[in-house]
Amino acid sequence: MATAPAIELRGITKRFPGVVANADVDFEAAPGEVHALLGENGAGKSTLSHIMSGLYRPDEGEIRLHGAPVVFHSPRDAIDAGVCMVHQHFRLVDRFTVAENLILGDRRGVGTHFRIEPGAVVDQVRRLGERYRLPVDPRARIWQLSVGERQRVEILKALYEEAKVLILDEPTAVLTPDEADTLFETLREIVQDGRTVIFISHKLNEVKAVSDRVTVLRGGRVVATVATSEASSQSLASLMVGRELDTVQRRRTDAGEGEAVLSVEGLSAESHRATTILEDIELTVRTGEIVAIAGVAGNGQRELAEAIAGLRQRTRGTVRVAGRPLRNGDARSAFRAGLGYVPEDRLGTGVAPNLPLSMNIELKSYREDSLGPFLRLGRMRERAEEAIRAYDIKAAGPHVEAATLSGGNIQKVVLAREFAGNLKALIAASPTRGLDVSAVETVHRHLCDAADRGVGILLISEDLDEILALADRVLVMYEGRLSPVGNRDDIDEIAVLMAGGQREE
Amino acid sequence: MNNTLLVTLIASGVAYGTPLLFASLGELLAERSGVLNLGVEGMMLVGAVMGFWTEQRVHAGPVVSLIVAVFVAAFSAACMAAIHAFLVITLRASQIVSGLALTIFAGAAGLSSYLGNDLNLADVPASHTFHAVFPSGMQNWPIVGPLVFGQTPLVYASWVCVAAIAYYLTRTRPGLNVRAVGESPAAADAMGISVTRYRYAHTIAGGAFAGVAGATFTLAITPQWVSGITGGAGWIAIALVIFAFWRPELCLVGAYFFGALQALAPELQARNISLGPTELWTNAMPYAATIVVLVLVSWRGARRRLGAPAALGVAYVREEA
Amino acid sequence: MRFTVERRLQQPRWLVVAVPLASVLFGFVVAAVVLLATGHDPVTSYRQLFDAAFVSTGSLDQTLIAATPLAFTGLAAAVAFRMRIFNIGAEGQLYMGSITGAAAGLYLGGRGSASPWVIAAMIVAGCAGGAAWASIAGALRAFFGTSEILTSLMLNYVAGYILTYLIFQSESYWRQTKGFNATVFPTGKPLPSNAVWPAWTLHTQGGIALPLGAGLAAVAAVLLWVLYRRTRFGFEVQVLGDSVGAARYAGVRTRRKILSVMAISGAIAGLGGASQVGDFSHSLDGDPNGLQRQGYGYAGIVVAALARYNPFAVVLVAFLIGGLDNAGNSLQGADFPSGRVGVIQGIILFSTLGGELLVRHRVRIARTPQAPAPEPAS
Repeated sequence: MATAPAIELRGITKRFPGVVANADVDFEAAPGEVHALLGENGAGKSTLSHIMSGLYRPDEGEIRLHGAPVVFHSPRDAIDAGVCMVHQHFRLVDRFTVAENLILGDRRGVGTHFRIEPGAVVDQVRRLGERYRLPVDPRARIWQLSVGERQRVEILKALYEEAKVLILDEPTAVLTPDEADTLFETLREIVQDGRTVIFISHKLNEVKAVSDRVTVLRGGRVVATVATSEASSQSLASLMVGRELDTVQRRRTDAGEGEAVLSVEGLSAESHRATTILEDIELTVRTGEIVAIAGVAGNGQRELAEAIAGLRQRTRGTVRVAGRPLRNGDARSAFRAGLGYVPEDRLGTGVAPNLPLSMNIELKSYREDSLGPFLRLGRMRERAEEAIRAYDIKAAGPHVEAATLSGGNIQKVVLAREFAGNLKALIAASPTRGLDVSAVETVHRHLCDAADRGVGILLISEDLDEILALADRVLVMYEGRLSPVGNRDDIDEIAVLMAGGQREE
Repeated sequence: MNNTLLVTLIASGVAYGTPLLFASLGELLAERSGVLNLGVEGMMLVGAVMGFWTEQRVHAGPVVSLIVAVFVAAFSAACMAAIHAFLVITLRASQIVSGLALTIFAGAAGLSSYLGNDLNLADVPASHTFHAVFPSGMQNWPIVGPLVFGQTPLVYASWVCVAAIAYYLTRTRPGLNVRAVGESPAAADAMGISVTRYRYAHTIAGGAFAGVAGATFTLAITPQWVSGITGGAGWIAIALVIFAFWRPELCLVGAYFFGALQALAPELQARNISLGPTELWTNAMPYAATIVVLVLVSWRGARRRLGAPAALGVAYVREEA
Repeated sequence: MRFTVERRLQQPRWLVVAVPLASVLFGFVVAAVVLLATGHDPVTSYRQLFDAAFVSTGSLDQTLIAATPLAFTGLAAAVAFRMRIFNIGAEGQLYMGSITGAAAGLYLGGRGSASPWVIAAMIVAGCAGGAAWASIAGALRAFFGTSEILTSLMLNYVAGYILTYLIFQSESYWRQTKGFNATVFPTGKPLPSNAVWPAWTLHTQGGIALPLGAGLAAVAAVLLWVLYRRTRFGFEVQVLGDSVGAARYAGVRTRRKILSVMAISGAIAGLGGASQVGDFSHSLDGDPNGLQRQGYGYAGIVVAALARYNPFAVVLVAFLIGGLDNAGNSLQGADFPSGRVGVIQGIILFSTLGGELLVRHRVRIARTPQAPAPEPAS
């Protein structure tokens, strides 16, 4: 071997109470390469990256940098050794300037002086920004920046620390396709001067686009390490899930002139920052139909779901469920009219995490299941038991706190609740994000069954595979506007629209 | 309002405001690191009683015994703060409840009064007190005389502290670190800054300042020990930190403003000026003003620029971040 | 060897009882060490305390008097804290309740024995006064998102100054302006006789009487338990306390709930204030060294925390802490210096607060150095 790997893991095992997150993992990445770490959610990618970046210590195994064994006691040790992580949730101080964030905890250069002068690094930041195509104003405060800019700051921080190995955890989740392409170019620049990039993702096309080699993790173990150029998407996918994907394929319906169960007219809404994020949305979902909204996260999908479901004030427009107009900003009026909502934020919105299942299952029907002001606790318990049985929820009983369940079982609780009663239309926002394969299948099956029963479903998802498998019609959301896709199987057209391009006529 | 009234008010604002200033600087340090300590009143009282006791027992010249007394006051109140720090940082107890428990433990019906009793400090005059240091000729100069040259060394020390803390927070590396710990402990932790160590250090340092504030009462303002001598100044100090938008230089302005308000009612009365229920509004003003400030900083735009440290009151646990 | 703390996946039920008990015991041991260190015999001190609190003639009566306001403020804090509304303004709400309660009694009262109508009016007025004062902080939180912790704290002082003003700095309706004493030391106007709250004698020889207020506190505890566990309102409050997102999703009107929880919390504290006037002082106590010195509102928060915000436990803990307070007051003197009770109480509080960690977490002793074991990233 000519040169030792930049970073090398040997026999890494990490256990948590009740789970083995990583089992005997061997992994190495060479200088000058982009090495992708591919795997489903829960495959152990995050744990492994936390071990490499010093946040966790392995129970067994060894880390070597350029051939020399190292022990990290903290993230700081890892940074000092040249291993920096760009977290999915940025580790930036919102109220600080970019420059202040860069010199925070810095142990070289200006950061070692007792007296600090954030202005002193401004030129250095500019130079780094130009060199790696990461333009950002060093004097801007973090809260003034967009999500994409914040990510640039994170990467700049790693470069400023002279990282030899950069670990990026799902970096594209918050980026538009354009921004992602720019990021990929930046990453290529970074490896040009002999650094190593470890790129964590579960998205096949990204891994194909950016990496030199891929290591696939499944169930905490390494299943293969292959050169990207020699692997096909199909083979990577089957390595990732361990079998050929047999996604639910839906029999498409042509809803045509069916009854419109959900219709949205001229809807506009504002974001948390009081700027218009949705503009003039028109949308109809007919009975028995699954309409999908594709797009990169952060283009207004979340706000759209909330504005329809009554969790956000509309500034203009009307929403009708089966012809009945909903009161603005009134969640109760929405679900009383028969509109279900599977929210994207499962554990903070879909369920109250520390309350028992019996309460979570009754979250929308406790008003009906009470006598005057008093709850009928017996009936609530029965209902919960029924739901646990009918939806095969793995829980010891109705008294169990929701947060103790797995993601898939929590989603079953949500579905059990939403499907109870007289459901006419359902908004499902990223309903399978973070779920394992079998849970994804269960959720898909429930959605299809509901559609077959005549429920109109609005599916909001970033996962194109999911959309292609389920949707009768596809719309793309970009910067708060919706554009219809002519042919719902035309991936190229969807991709163009997702990046803000115009439809070719 | 004539000129003399204004000068009198500012002068007594400085006098009454100095303990407020010390205590609020201490609370500011703790809050900037993300620790809310509602036990200021208790810490001040312990500082007051221990400072007074030391000054009684150290038989040396006035300068030495007063300096030793101030240090003992700071140290003993810092020990009180250490209890709070241990409970809320290491044991992750509720900051609100722990701070109130500290008030009960150390406050007027607790340790401070227990110590005052056991050490027989009641009804004893202080043997040495802080006095103005400049010659009386200078003190008699118009306006600047009483304001600048008529103060005790504690006042000058407080001015130095304001400047030092302002410089520390904005211009030094540990200052940057502590702000990061108070704003985003996860970010600080990721960069190798020990959240625990910074929070301990600043909570305890905050206690030391509260101790000095307490000693200001027993060694300068009313040089004797009476149980509960601070009379709620600790709570005003907490209000003051908010009123000053968590900035040391504004603490100075606020402390003197609140101090002057305390002197306003008797001054007006002495001059036969009636402005409605004077005692009521002069006493309640600091709190009402603080509420107004609180409402202002909760507005969207202001919150980010002027608001409380983002992680104030929140325990930090690495694995949940 | 080092200690690591990890979150328990399940909390055994016995821990919820065992840990606080063990913590209290530990607190007594630590306090004993402190007493020894300062040259006092802990066994004698504890025996004196216990005697003065619960055993000697008339002690239970005094303990009830000390416990009643703590039960009210404890319940007030428990109601709000459970929903993560940190109302630390029970102190001021209690003052306001005493002002409005006293006003009702003075205005409506007359001669004769206790009138249920007058007393009912005082109860309602006390609740209304406390609720209105709490609603200031509640409204600021609901409409501007202002931290209720700090606003309610500030309002305590404003309320205190209003109270003092009414008796000491003005010729208000509440102030006694007739008679010789009125010119010497300002006091509140005494309640007419039919506005004085009755007490039930439980034990004639022991001189134990149950004040109406103590009974009302117990009733309030039951009502609160029913409200939180058995009603729609309680369901909504529990959801909101756990997750704001889930509450909005379930169609709970969050602002209204914040306002009503603050109002309920303030009403209970205000009732405590009315009980102070009706049961004990029989006039408005505006003395800065009187009611305001007691700090019932703050102590109530600690009582609620010790009771883990359970209403029944609040009543029990209030009784125990009230006993200690009473003992502290009655023993005050040469051989039992004031402040000793505060020290013992404080140590017990610290120890129970610290012990809370053990209910939710497990401390493991790792033989080899090991990183804190986090939960798997979800």
